[in-house]
Amino acid sequence: MPADSASTSPTQFQDPARHRRLQLLGILCGFTAGAWLGAAEAPTKLVSIGISPIVISFIMVIGVFLARWSLPALVLGTSSVRADVRRAPHLIIWALLAGCLWAVANTLTIFAIRDIGLSIAFPLWNSNSLLGIFWGFLFFNELRQAGWRRWAGVLGGALVMCVGATVLAIASASQGPSAHSLNGVWAALGAGVLWGTMYIPYRKAYLTGMNPLSFVTFFTFGELGMMTALAFGYIGVSPLWNVLVQARGIIFWLMLGGFIWVIGDLFQQYAAKYVGISRGIPLSNTNQLWGLLWGIFVFGELHGKSHTTYMEVIGGSLLMMLGVGAIALSSATGKEQQHWKEAAQREGERYGVAADYVAARFEGRQAAGETLPSRSGLDWLLVAAASAVLLAFAAMARVPQFSFRWGPALALTAALLLLLFLCGRKLWRTTRFH
Amino acid sequence: MERISTDKPTRSRAISIFTDIHFWVPAAVLLGGLFLLRFIH
Repeated sequence: MPADSASTSPTQFQDPARHRRLQLLGILCGFTAGAWLGAAEAPTKLVSIGISPIVISFIMVIGVFLARWSLPALVLGTSSVRADVRRAPHLIIWALLAGCLWAVANTLTIFAIRDIGLSIAFPLWNSNSLLGIFWGFLFFNELRQAGWRRWAGVLGGALVMCVGATVLAIASASQGPSAHSLNGVWAALGAGVLWGTMYIPYRKAYLTGMNPLSFVTFFTFGELGMMTALAFGYIGVSPLWNVLVQARGIIFWLMLGGFIWVIGDLFQQYAAKYVGISRGIPLSNTNQLWGLLWGIFVFGELHGKSHTTYMEVIGGSLLMMLGVGAIALSSATGKEQQHWKEAAQREGERYGVAADYVAARFEGRQAAGETLPSRSGLDWLLVAAASAVLLAFAAMARVPQFSFRWGPALALTAALLLLLFLCGRKLWRTTRFH
Repeated sequence: MERISTDKPTRSRAISIFTDIHFWVPAAVLLGGLFLLRFIH
């Protein structure tokens, strides 16, 4: 029996006002995640095609690895990560598993885009939100006793978003089906199943109380380990090295894409924590909308296209916003929250995690007796090392000849930074990044 | 002094993990994804 499990119960001390604040925070995190995940596509647009999908995925994962260690070190310090892991060491297994799932899914999406184009591939893997709703309901008591209006809001919103995403993908498609179209369909569907299932470890970790910043530091070992194994297995060590040397001029752009992606993913993790995976995943799937904004306004992708294409973009965007609105207005009620808490309590009891820790983190607070997070020399060393690696590749980077509009790029960057500031400040004030 | 209350024995924790459906569902999906990747590559 865990030492503190009898002292307090997660069902006992929930403040309804704080609950509402956490729900709003989760929704804001979902929006911010969509914006940053969409922006992560921008640097990868500078990369010309002709490199193996596995190599592209491998380089992005190296950028992701740098960010997943340096950002948590910068925000809270690695002492906080160590303390979290000592409390719930079993979650390392799930973090590694989730990282492996992400790496395989990401590689499958690159195959899917190559074989069937974005217009067919994206709606297929976007089905991950529907699978996430199913897992959330089945395993973590999400949407239990939520009432038909909230069910309709979440499920209907996710379906409307899928339709909107399909319309947007058709409008923005620039690539026709190839000779391997059936393989591409399987790859896209497989990616959707892998990504939808990846949220099981996410939700498990956050119901148990682990800080998202702690979870991602172990998640990334799964990502990098799996991606390295795939790259070595499918390409070979020596050929991979040769490709990396030849591609050194573009490595920075892919790593930068991975780095920006991590910022979005961190907000996605907080969304999964505070509004659950059934609502968090669809909200962060708005990344397609933001990716399209970058494509249209910064890279001029639809320049000279027909009136029909522009109507498809407007219609698809409106549908996505409608779906997002429906989900955002369907936040969990007190009865549903009670079921969440029961799931959290079940996890704590199964793995012997102190009930006061589970309950405090459920409310986005530190448990009594926890030491305050602090940064050490090691943390600053991690930040400096990650920055140095990025700067070294930036010095080697080649800027390709590309149609690039600075005005919209600056406006979108300003919007991203504003969202980062507002959401980051809200997270800090409400939860101290817990 | 920080209080850490996780004193579950390692063997007991391992049993809890390997009898948890939350472990086996993602593990099975990962295996399926690796087979799919091998099939389409």
